[in-house]
Amino acid sequence: MSREFNIDYVFSFIPKMLSYLHITLFIVASSLVLGLIIGLLVALPRMYNIPFLKRVSQVYVSFFRGTPILIQLFLVYYGLPELLKLVDINSSRWDVLWFAVATYALNSGAFISEIIRSGVEAVDRGQIEAAQSVGMSGYQTFTRIIMPQALAVVVPVFSNLVIGNLKDTSLAFTIGAMEMTGKSQTLGSATQHFVETYIALSLIYLVISLILQKLFKVLENTLLRHEHRDAVQKEPEKRKSFVVRYLRSPRLSKGGKGI
Amino acid sequence: MSLDFGFIYTAFLGLFSALPNTLIITVVSVLAGLVIGIITALARIYKVPVLSQISHGYVTFIRGTPMLMHLLLIYFSLPLLIDAGAKHFGWPLQSKDVPYMVFALISFSITSGAYMSEVVRSGIQSVNKGQIEAAYAVGMTTWQVLRRIVFPQAFVVSLPNLTNSVIGMLHGSTLAFTVSVTEIQAQAEILASTNWKYLEVYIAAALLFWGLTVLIERISGLVEKKINVFNGGRAS
Repeated sequence: MSREFNIDYVFSFIPKMLSYLHITLFIVASSLVLGLIIGLLVALPRMYNIPFLKRVSQVYVSFFRGTPILIQLFLVYYGLPELLKLVDINSSRWDVLWFAVATYALNSGAFISEIIRSGVEAVDRGQIEAAQSVGMSGYQTFTRIIMPQALAVVVPVFSNLVIGNLKDTSLAFTIGAMEMTGKSQTLGSATQHFVETYIALSLIYLVISLILQKLFKVLENTLLRHEHRDAVQKEPEKRKSFVVRYLRSPRLSKGGKGI
Repeated sequence: MSLDFGFIYTAFLGLFSALPNTLIITVVSVLAGLVIGIITALARIYKVPVLSQISHGYVTFIRGTPMLMHLLLIYFSLPLLIDAGAKHFGWPLQSKDVPYMVFALISFSITSGAYMSEVVRSGIQSVNKGQIEAAYAVGMTTWQVLRRIVFPQAFVVSLPNLTNSVIGMLHGSTLAFTVSVTEIQAQAEILASTNWKYLEVYIAAALLFWGLTVLIERISGLVEKKINVFNGGRAS
């Protein structure tokens, strides 16, 4: 089916695919920013126990965690134009990239809402009461007490989500978005050197994942400075397992995503 | 919006014919992945000289690249290897005799193996070291320690992660359509293009996957309750 293996092609393909890297990264970044907004909106009704909205957000999260991202891509690709037609917007000339971004944003929103919720819940209630008893306002309690601790807890999970999103972008080509995988398809069929294309592409993904992992590790260590200081002073074992318990919490993991 | 609700139901029934393939892919890749995962995890925990480095490289590579890449790499490179082998060693096997399903199963097992390896590793490492020492102290062999002390407890701890991996492989099985295996996604494409009702078919496919996922979560929840008896019945 394909021609004989030639390692030279791997090296010549890498720069060609890298010229599409910015589109892949654009999908990842925009889906995260939009996902953060959606995630916050979805997490709030559940944290504050708002009757009807709470149910809606539960169904939303369950649906996007319970279906494959590939199906979601096609649902948005065929469903969004129909929805937009209802409000008299014609999307037939839109770039498919926007449909990919919309899907990944909706998908990330579901996971991010869970991350936000568990991050906030990981903070000890007593601390919040203590903060209020020394006269802090709700806003001050959130920015000074809850946020810093919640952030530290969720960084590893968030890191998994970002890397999962990066890998998921490889599916955007199925609806015709031209990112790195889409480019690899055209390169592969033009030269008939498929194995080399996919080796080159895998190497690019691997390097970006490793870089992201390192960056998040540094961020985590910075945010956890206080934990480490405490850990050295008293009961190191227990301290560590406290953090680890939250990080391994099953509700947080990416579930059906990121593979 | 013109949504044909009747066709969603028809499509839902039509997708059932592809359900066995999806389930085969999920079950085989999870089981094979577990075997690979246990081997690589033990190699890394016991720091077996060469094996542990290989395992580490394998896990890093697989977790750092999309599942689609593993599938396409296997799909395009294995036939080359098989044909080369047939030419040089006179194997009776030709790549065109191998069903596409086999390539999908091999690739998904390799993918799942790396994720399972992390599940198994975190599970085993959660078992208290003192218990293992105690087991050795009463004269158990390493195999006995693993089988009687470590594995049962590790299983309880890693069940939620295991469930996530199973759901991950269920959702990942949709990728098999790229190598022409007729699972739910591929069947959806066929149904959609023959009836020209794309949205309805994908709604049906989404509902089917959603149902399967919720079912897996429920079962796992029940099992979790059962095996946590020694913990006083509370979820760990």
